Amino acid sequence: MPDQHGIDAYAAYLPAYALNSNSLEGAPPAHPGPVRSVAGFDEDAVTMAVEALRHIVGGTATGHQLLLATTSAPYEAKTAAGIVHEALGLDPGAAAVDLRGHRSGASALDLVTRTGACAAMADIRFTRPGAPDELAQGDAGAAFVGGRRAAVLLSRAGRTTELLERWRLPGEQHDRVWDERFTADILRTAAVRAARHALADAGLDTADHVVVSSSNARAAAAVRRALGGSGEDARIERATGFTGAAHPGLLLAAALDEAQPGQTVLLVSATEGADAFVFRVGDGVRSARGGPSVREQIQDRQVLAYGRYLRWRGLLDVQGPARPAAPAPAAPPMHRRAGWKFRLEGSRCGACGSITAPPGRVCASCGIAGHADARSKVSLRDKVARVVSVTQDHLTTMPEPEVAIVIADVDGGGRLSAYATDAPAEDVVVGMEMVPTFRRLWTTDAIHNYFWKLRPRKDCH
Amino acid sequence: MANRRMAHDVAIVAMGCTPFRDHWNSSADDLLVDAVQDCLGSLPAVSLDDIDAFWVGTQGSGMSGQTLARPLRLSGKPVTRVENYCATGSEAFRNAAFAVASGAYDMVMAAGVEKLKDSSQAGLSAVYPPADGTDVDWTAPAGFSLLVPAYQDAHGVDDRDMRSTLTKVAVKNHANGALNERAQFRKAVSAEAVETAPRVAGRLGVMDCSGVSDGAAVAVLVRAEDAYKYTEKPVFLRGMGFVAGSGAGLASDGYDFTTFPEVVTAAKQAYEQAGVTDPATEISLAEVHDCFTPTEVVLMEDLGFSPRGKAWRDILDGRYDLDGALPVNTDGGLKSFGHPIGATGLRMMFECFTQLRGEAGERQVPNARLAVAQNLGGQPGSCVAFVAVLGSEPGEGDR
Repeated sequence: MPDQHGIDAYAAYLPAYALNSNSLEGAPPAHPGPVRSVAGFDEDAVTMAVEALRHIVGGTATGHQLLLATTSAPYEAKTAAGIVHEALGLDPGAAAVDLRGHRSGASALDLVTRTGACAAMADIRFTRPGAPDELAQGDAGAAFVGGRRAAVLLSRAGRTTELLERWRLPGEQHDRVWDERFTADILRTAAVRAARHALADAGLDTADHVVVSSSNARAAAAVRRALGGSGEDARIERATGFTGAAHPGLLLAAALDEAQPGQTVLLVSATEGADAFVFRVGDGVRSARGGPSVREQIQDRQVLAYGRYLRWRGLLDVQGPARPAAPAPAAPPMHRRAGWKFRLEGSRCGACGSITAPPGRVCASCGIAGHADARSKVSLRDKVARVVSVTQDHLTTMPEPEVAIVIADVDGGGRLSAYATDAPAEDVVVGMEMVPTFRRLWTTDAIHNYFWKLRPRKDCH
Repeated sequence: MANRRMAHDVAIVAMGCTPFRDHWNSSADDLLVDAVQDCLGSLPAVSLDDIDAFWVGTQGSGMSGQTLARPLRLSGKPVTRVENYCATGSEAFRNAAFAVASGAYDMVMAAGVEKLKDSSQAGLSAVYPPADGTDVDWTAPAGFSLLVPAYQDAHGVDDRDMRSTLTKVAVKNHANGALNERAQFRKAVSAEAVETAPRVAGRLGVMDCSGVSDGAAVAVLVRAEDAYKYTEKPVFLRGMGFVAGSGAGLASDGYDFTTFPEVVTAAKQAYEQAGVTDPATEISLAEVHDCFTPTEVVLMEDLGFSPRGKAWRDILDGRYDLDGALPVNTDGGLKSFGHPIGATGLRMMFECFTQLRGEAGERQVPNARLAVAQNLGGQPGSCVAFVAVLGSEPGEGDR
């Protein structure tokens, strides 16, 4: 189906935090210095994929695929895309596929444009504290749905190069890196070759926007120079770090945020070889974006102290409260209650119209038993909720000294008891407007417990 | 909806209660034996063989009726274990009362016990069934601290006044507990000590929380008409109500966290049965569930002791002090007495029993005639609640 080649909708997700200093001695950040995007302690590739995709995936047709590209999948063996699929409420006929490795972001984008799949790329980047590139790695998500509204694919080309550049054994946390000067040269050669090939196929000498993503910063700089890029992509990268499998998606989203309809975009991803894509920006590009722009998200972030970052990542083993770990969820109740757990679906009473959450067979307002059918389900996930009462838990088992917990009433009915996130606990007050966000509550007995939290609503979006 | 007096009225003829504290050298079994011996010590003519049936309440310190049958080596007796969160001890009492009221048994025992200090945690521990993992992993103080901003918002109480009210509850109950040899904490505390204690949840610090302790308490119940056979000073059960909340307060909008509707209903039932029409003036003293300081504030309104929105003022004015118009938690409450879950409901009745018999010594409330024991479990929005009215004299139907 050649007329389907391209991107219909896109979104980027940057977490609420940024790290601008990794000095254990408390030295001030360099100006201007690199800044890394930092996922909250309750985020991972799955939650960021959900946040990136939730505003652009509608009714995905049976037979289409959901792809999740990452180098930091929360499980070995278990498919992470299946959790994203459930949270998005996709048709069970749509496949859920994990793509792994640094090159998987570009591979996912390739499949999106060619097959009409939807894909999320999401990554949490670990480095050893003090590693030379600690502030040059970052956490992010990006999402794309195949189609033509945002951009049409004019051509693509790829080079596969087996190369020991960045690698990690199963069970290890940190990438190992080969001498960048050696790998940069190999990657630059592959990338320039793929880009020239793709441009030629598109009948172009150059593109209006040149976007280069590489796991090797030295290679990225060289490729930009060779292809005449403006360096706008490099400025984004200095504010987020290299975001792994998400990075080509994040940089492409940032370019689409700014590009005018009819302009061309050359995207090159140089890792374990190279992938090059030439797009023509579509007339519908402005309406094709879900959520805020990459620039808006960069500006909205809170600066995080290095100690807090280390604690969040488990890189600093801090004494917690004398309190047992939160209980692990069990498979049968998770399966039975998937609508509530993964999609935040309450039940609407057929008799009085009130919403009960968590959903129940009997209405919490009028006490009348209803039918547990699809018509009674009502999603609370994209609604605004207002805080009725709030507390701060100072004995939390989460890697924070205190966490806010709220009771919040949902616009249009329903009540949620939920953890607040992405804001200092003391800033959450009665009357505040909040919105649901998919998070990892805790991990006990090697089971990740995903559910919805509430974060302050940002009026600017 | 029926809310009847029982077929036979019921009286308590003896009670026992261990000290509540860190019983490092006693098991739940030991505590039960101690409490039973304390109780039967006042009934020289009665032995365990004379007791027809037993109820034992524990949240997590034992399973089945054997929790009591084994340590006491009861032979051929029916024993029922009950559990209803922090109202477990009250639930043991309630079911035991129904058993004599029905005529099935002549004499029964209600026992409650909890051994909390054998874990290495400071707070409560409970094991819940496998679940979907979507519930907030509240600490108990976090759940109850929700009352504070909601109460302030509803009644226009500023931060300073609210803090002073919570502090007053803690200071008062510790002062009462200092007079009680069975209390966990026997020292009065200063307002400063309460307010500078480490924060636990919301505005609550460690000194806004009840003590975590071990203990047991028991009661022997008979039909009211038989009571004077066993003691000159029986205490009569004049009314009781119990509600297991639907949890609607957390599952649908509307509930505002300034009241425990379950307590309001249970109190209404108990007052109706007891013929109490104005609890604020008719009740001599009350033992209430001060698991956390704001709980006691809200309960003063739910029990009809203070008008809505006015409890904070009455507390600050000393109305609920030991020498106030309506002394509350004369034994020190959960706050200083400690809160071994399964025992607490019966501990409250033990204080009512002691006061109504005029045996409370330095804590004695003059002319105590009617006492309220109020006990709850769960959290605001989703709780279980028990209220009993106990009297030094039989009610109309008991004579």
